Amino acid sequence: MSHLIALGLSHHTAPLDAREGVVDGLLGERTDLPALLAKLREGAFAEAAAMTTCNRIELYGVSDDPGTALKHARRLLSEAYPALDPATTYGHRDRDAVRHVFRVAASLDSMVVGEPQILGQVKAAFEGAQRAGSVGMLLGRCFTRAFAVAKRVRSETGIAEGTVSVSSIATSLARKIFGELDGRKVLLLGAGEMGEAAAKALSGSGAHVVVVNRSPAKAERLAEACGGRAAAYEQLASELVRADVVITSTSSPTYVLTHELMRDVAKARRGRPLFLIDIAVPRDVDPRVGGLESVFLYDVDDLQRVAEENLKQRAKAAEAAERIVEIEVEEFEAWRRSLALTPTIIALREHFQQVAEAELQRSLGKLELSDAERKALERMTKSTVNKLLHAPLAALKKGARGPHGAALIDATRTLFDLEDADEAEEGELATELSRAAKKTTS
Amino acid sequence: MLVTALYIATALAYGLASGLYLAALMRGTPRAARAARWVLLTAIGLQCAFVGCDVAYGAPMSRLHQTLTGLSLGVAVAFLLAQLRRKSIDVLGAFVVPVALFFFLGSGIGRSVEHASSGSVLVPIHIGVNVLGLVAFALAFGSSLAYVMQERMLRKKELGGLFERLPALDVLDRFGLRAVMFGFPLLTVGILSGAFWAFRLEQANFGFTGAHVFAFVAWTLFASVLGLRLAAGWRGRRAAYGTIVGFLCTSVVLVGYVLRTGLDS
Repeated sequence: MSHLIALGLSHHTAPLDAREGVVDGLLGERTDLPALLAKLREGAFAEAAAMTTCNRIELYGVSDDPGTALKHARRLLSEAYPALDPATTYGHRDRDAVRHVFRVAASLDSMVVGEPQILGQVKAAFEGAQRAGSVGMLLGRCFTRAFAVAKRVRSETGIAEGTVSVSSIATSLARKIFGELDGRKVLLLGAGEMGEAAAKALSGSGAHVVVVNRSPAKAERLAEACGGRAAAYEQLASELVRADVVITSTSSPTYVLTHELMRDVAKARRGRPLFLIDIAVPRDVDPRVGGLESVFLYDVDDLQRVAEENLKQRAKAAEAAERIVEIEVEEFEAWRRSLALTPTIIALREHFQQVAEAELQRSLGKLELSDAERKALERMTKSTVNKLLHAPLAALKKGARGPHGAALIDATRTLFDLEDADEAEEGELATELSRAAKKTTS
Repeated sequence: MLVTALYIATALAYGLASGLYLAALMRGTPRAARAARWVLLTAIGLQCAFVGCDVAYGAPMSRLHQTLTGLSLGVAVAFLLAQLRRKSIDVLGAFVVPVALFFFLGSGIGRSVEHASSGSVLVPIHIGVNVLGLVAFALAFGSSLAYVMQERMLRKKELGGLFERLPALDVLDRFGLRAVMFGFPLLTVGILSGAFWAFRLEQANFGFTGAHVFAFVAWTLFASVLGLRLAAGWRGRRAAYGTIVGFLCTSVVLVGYVLRTGLDS
């Protein structure tokens, strides 16, 4: 039987340095997802997907040998970042893995519980894995269910209401520095999704957004999306002097706002407060910049601390969401167990039919019967088989969805000496796959 | 008798208002903030009664303790008015009302002491502008203190309830600036008239005393806070520190004066 696996490290378990290191090591130029997925499948993974966000690096997979697969994936992580402390990673299988994926997608495991970005990131990870051809039935179903769970949690609990997203934390902190935000200047540097969301939120509170990007086309597009204007990258220093809030979310592997640059900027600003929000991982702003006069630097980990404060207030909504997740995990597990059921039912029925047929043919050879009598005898045999099978099959179907389903199916196979019905399972896989594909495209 | 009772009642009311404002700031209980406003209003009423009684019993306005009483009344009234205009600075009462209490208690020392006077018309001007200037600086002091705290919490990322309750940095910065802008010309006139007065009084043995030094330091500090802000746009933490130290210096001058004249007699 195939097992689901989820492992990785997140803001809950590992510090920013370790997360940065692993992302750099795993993805290199940040575009090597297919290579990473291929590496996973070289191990004991039959299916694989990977996701990296600012706060987490996660590998998902399906394997018949979960122990080896987990070991293999852990080795990949520590090869990516040799300084990685194994205690800062987590590994889940089966039910726990499903629960983990559901919780991540439903934003229950997020830095800011209920923030909406994570669902898009999970979807992107899934689509990336699909393009790389590493998604099979189990992972496909798990992800599509996760999207549905996220939707359900969002609509049925207050988790997304009065949202405490990174954007709203940024907005409320900006208000604590600048009072009203009307006419304040927000400089958006980089094209990260969270950065864009934060800039939009500030713009919605009356601030003017200026977008600076190495690519003028990207700057134009973002400026349009945020209702602001684009500025040339060469004007970065002067825009920094003019800005009140700066949001950085570039994918640069080195500091974009260096200590030297910001020291000059702070001097030119003459003590005017500057709110710097660094949402990028790896960081865009040299941490020493936070020590400059009237510069308030917040990176993702700082925002997390703020988020944790707010999290306490939203604990109730999260509790309800966790109950939904638990129900959905139960349902998924029931489905997963029932996967093994269909081939068993087919095999059992065939086994009974074959025995009855063989016995019938033997008896028919000895008897001299009319056609009508013959047909009646055949009908009687068939219905006897069906009637005999009815109660055990019903019990099997019911039991297979329960907690001991797998054991029940195994017992049935052993009792009736059934061969592995691989062909049937493959047929099932094909239909499931096409269903999963249809769901993600819709 | 009645005067003494009113003095004690006023001091207690200021003390209670200070405590309530402090509780409102630290604990964030809206009831404490509401109660603090009413108690402060009561203190102001009691103080007015106290001044009325005092004058009715024949204490002339030129007495030193009347100046201090006027100063504390000015601080309390100015704060109450400022708070009506801008609700968010309500919590600054935790810093400003104790200043009013401090000056009011000081008025107990200088009782029945006449200002050293040369009979010049400069004296009431000197006292009047200095009182108004100090009222403005007391408000600036409160908001600068809050600014420094707020700035520190933002920097240290300690974003607890205290951070939530203190007003935005920009609000504090602008409020402090306006108060200093109001107080600075008054302080200038106050120092000039004081120097002139002292010169006239002590023509024979005029020399630089500690009070002169502190007054000069305070003036220089406020001048640089304002000058740098208006001419060069400098602001933030340094301006707040300048304002705090400037206010303390002017207070030292006043305390020195009160102790000197109060104890000499």
